[in-house]
Amino acid sequence: MNYQPQDFLPIFVQLAAALAFIVLVMVLTHALGPKRHSAKKDDSFECGIESIGDARTPISVKYFLVAILFVLFDLEIVFMYPWAVNFKQLAWNGFYEMIVFMGLLLAGFIYVIKKGILTWEK
Amino acid sequence: MTAIIALSLFGISNLFLGFWFPRKTIQLVTLLFLVVSMALTVSDWNHELLWFGNMFRTTNTSINFSLIIQLAAFFVVAFSKAFGQDDEHTHPAEYYAIMLFSVVGAILMVSFDHMIVLFVGLEILSVAMYVLTGSDKRNLRSNEAAIKYFLMGSFTTGFLLFGITLVYGATRSFYISNIGTILTTTAPESMPSFLFIGVLLIIVGLLFKVSAAPFHFWTPDVYEGAPTIFTMFMSTIVKTASFAALFQLVSGIFGSLYTVWVLPVYFISMLTLVVGNISAVYQQSVKRMLAFSSISHAGYLILTVSSKQISTTSSILYYSLSYTLATVVAFAVLILVSEYQSARVEKPENFSSFEGLAKNNPGLALCFSISMLSLAGIPLTAGFWGKFFIFSDTFSRNIIYPVILAILMSAVGIYYYFKGIIAVYLKAGEIEKIEVPTLFKMALWACTLGTIILGIYPSLVKSVF
Amino acid sequence: MSLLFILFFPLVIGAILLVAKPKQAFAISLIASIIELVATILVLKDAATAENGLVFTKPWIEEAGISFSLWVDGVNGILIGLCALMVPFIVATTANSDKANNSQYQGLMLAMQTALMGAFLAKDAFLFYFFFEASLLPIYFLAAIYGGENKNAITFKFFVYTLFGSLFLLIGLIYVYLVTPGSHSSDIETLYQTATMLPERIQGNLFLAFFIAFAIKMPIFPFHTWQPDTYTVAPTQATMLLSGIMLKMGTYGLIRLVLPMFPLGIITWGNTAIILSVIGIIYGSVIAIQQKDAKRLLAYSSFAHVGLMSAGILSQSLEGIQGALYQMLSHGINIVGLFFIIEIIERRTKSREIAQLGGITQYSYVLTVAFVILSLGSVALPLTNGFIGEFLLLKSVFDHDMIIGIVAGISIILGAVYTLRLIQKTMFGNFSRITKDFEDLSAAEKWVLIPLCAFVILGGVYPTWILNFTEPGVQALVSLLK
Repeated sequence: MNYQPQDFLPIFVQLAAALAFIVLVMVLTHALGPKRHSAKKDDSFECGIESIGDARTPISVKYFLVAILFVLFDLEIVFMYPWAVNFKQLAWNGFYEMIVFMGLLLAGFIYVIKKGILTWEK
Repeated sequence: MTAIIALSLFGISNLFLGFWFPRKTIQLVTLLFLVVSMALTVSDWNHELLWFGNMFRTTNTSINFSLIIQLAAFFVVAFSKAFGQDDEHTHPAEYYAIMLFSVVGAILMVSFDHMIVLFVGLEILSVAMYVLTGSDKRNLRSNEAAIKYFLMGSFTTGFLLFGITLVYGATRSFYISNIGTILTTTAPESMPSFLFIGVLLIIVGLLFKVSAAPFHFWTPDVYEGAPTIFTMFMSTIVKTASFAALFQLVSGIFGSLYTVWVLPVYFISMLTLVVGNISAVYQQSVKRMLAFSSISHAGYLILTVSSKQISTTSSILYYSLSYTLATVVAFAVLILVSEYQSARVEKPENFSSFEGLAKNNPGLALCFSISMLSLAGIPLTAGFWGKFFIFSDTFSRNIIYPVILAILMSAVGIYYYFKGIIAVYLKAGEIEKIEVPTLFKMALWACTLGTIILGIYPSLVKSVF
Repeated sequence: MSLLFILFFPLVIGAILLVAKPKQAFAISLIASIIELVATILVLKDAATAENGLVFTKPWIEEAGISFSLWVDGVNGILIGLCALMVPFIVATTANSDKANNSQYQGLMLAMQTALMGAFLAKDAFLFYFFFEASLLPIYFLAAIYGGENKNAITFKFFVYTLFGSLFLLIGLIYVYLVTPGSHSSDIETLYQTATMLPERIQGNLFLAFFIAFAIKMPIFPFHTWQPDTYTVAPTQATMLLSGIMLKMGTYGLIRLVLPMFPLGIITWGNTAIILSVIGIIYGSVIAIQQKDAKRLLAYSSFAHVGLMSAGILSQSLEGIQGALYQMLSHGINIVGLFFIIEIIERRTKSREIAQLGGITQYSYVLTVAFVILSLGSVALPLTNGFIGEFLLLKSVFDHDMIIGIVAGISIILGAVYTLRLIQKTMFGNFSRITKDFEDLSAAEKWVLIPLCAFVILGGVYPTWILNFTEPGVQALVSLLK
């Protein structure tokens, strides 16, 4: 198993091909497609409804908190899959480690609840 | 090793303590936690062991570094006063917890035996610092500082990671000890050329964290924008940890590649010395001056790192300790004075707000002056011996011109440190007696005494290092 | 132990004064400095009888081979004596002034004494350096807190300038220290052995590094620009400490470190250094002649005197070193007395302008006599202490190079010109508006001036016992040079 840099050449070829395709398609669409400008056409598409104001309005930070917390706990569940698959081989040792992991998660969860982050109206 | 587990648990319990106890209690408890973790760190003394799948190594050197880091954290916690106006909106418990977590990261950085542990440690430390930098939420400068620090920091973390990957590609190992053996047993000519790029990238990634020029542009703004207490944290703990890591890598495993990195490192150290010292001269704000002073001290330390002597470890340890003791005092007095002046003058962190401090606050003035003297490297203070050991190390490798530059620059350093002393003692100003909390006062005197004792009898710690 | 006592006793008392701020600061400080003087005399008596001088050694930074070692031999004995002798007088000059019971002022003076003693006593090169730099702190604060007009900028220049110079000394010391065999040692005698082995080019560079440091301290032309301003702006006692004792750290460093360590370096650069010193003599004297401010005049005269000492030392002869040591002692005594006289005049008339003064002799006879005696000592008239030193120094310079010797000899004439002009303009002639009804000397002032004048005469009439005391040490040193 002694890789030389040139062994990675196919990967670079693939990368180049992928990039080239994107560039090609973008250039082609611009070159071939008809161009008709109007106020309606240049407007951002919002299901046919006329857009109002700026899209970059501030959103309540609570959305972000919930979203981030969701991602956190969601991702941590992912760790349980490989553990479950290898449950037998990892044996008790794996079990204890998972308990510690879940314990820390649980502590975090309790903290989040106690801190009142999930209560929407405050 | 148990210290990092303990500190993590302490940090989590700190979060919960915040629900029931006021800030003062949590502060005391955090101090207690740090004392416990220091005791646990000491218990590993003289047991060279590998932990966590051989990824974490405790040696006496790493223990010394961890102790300096925890001592610095101890003082920072002791110097922390109310974070902003009211405790309810500033979450003191969380700040203490984050500090403890970042200490865990710093300890990982000083005792890693695996590149990934270095990376994880650095990230734990850095992410905590990004948060703490921006913790003064209603202050625009603090927010700007946090964003700046985060963007620059994550960018250079990429450098570090890329460097680690390249080194892994060349040596097929993440383990420090393995990489070291491979590099010493293989002739450099037979190594792939990207190894050298990798080594330099790792060095650059770490040099960013110690704010060496030309990677220092974030430092003054971030130091100035962050709440002073966290600037204190940054300039001591982040520095010490990053230097320990840099030193272990550069003169440990990359020691055989000396010729590859030595010229860039010289160049960087000289540039850092010049940029740090010359820019510091022009600062009106004490906080910014201390930021540039921390850059210039990084220059001295990089110089030692490049000297690669047997005694270098102990020199770096000694320098870090003396620098830490002096810096925390300088920042602590800055906290008190700027707090007092914030209602009275427009720019409470300027030298001008220190004027006349000695009249009604002789104790504070003395502590501040001694810390300035120590930073300037005047005899009777720890800073003198720190510089002495560094120059002596560097000299024994026959590195002449950088040392001469360093000496010239330390003469420049005297200029701006003395601006502080002159403001305190010789300028007239109206500062009434400033109330200092007991704990704060005790920590202040402990650091000052430490500086003087180390200045008179450096063997006290030098024999341990 | 006795060495430790004379080293740390002033510091302890000084620290007490600084911290406790007692009301009777003057009395405490005066008594302490007298105790120090007595103790030092006892130590010197021991040293004179002891076979190889007194030595005290304790490990300090063992890992690096740096020790806390002190010694007394003929060379530094005289400087320790000077330091112990002058401080009581300097303290006494504050009597009845606003500084007398200022415990901070007195405390800093005593702290300064420890630093000076330490530099003279040190047997370890780094210990020497440690005190050499540490002495800057008390003197800086003395001058910067109590100084006159524009003190911040001037004292700051002084501090940075001298510290900058001593950093060169540090580089040089570290270099020599790293050459020492084994786990290194910074004992001065070990450094002698290793440094002399170094090749000529390196010795030359090291000589320059050391010489710059000491030249700034003394000061030697062209490193003197800090000196007149600092001497003028500092309070009189600080000026006395600076010119009377601290300046001698530079000349002492030349004798103790530079001569025995870099014989080859002196071959390369010695002549240049001597020429610079002699330029300083002439330059200082010429400028002194034109001074309007009496204190500034004395500052330049001190600059001129130290140039001759340096030239004599660098001539590397027994007479030169003996003369320099003797001249250090007499210059210390004379300059302290002269600065005190200027201070006395300034206290009464609020002026140091030579043009505004005159006719004081009509009101104070004793002051005039004291001024004349001290000035003649400074001019080096026979039968005064200055004569012995200057004679030996000039002889050594003359032996070294006749032309340089002749040029240096002119300094005596120039010295006479500015000193006598100073006396004449201030003491004699008609009294002016401000010297009218000049108050006669108080008892305390007499008690300072009369013993100093006695020393001037005594040193001129009976120099042998001091020269005999220094001779063995200097002999040993000179034998190293051969």
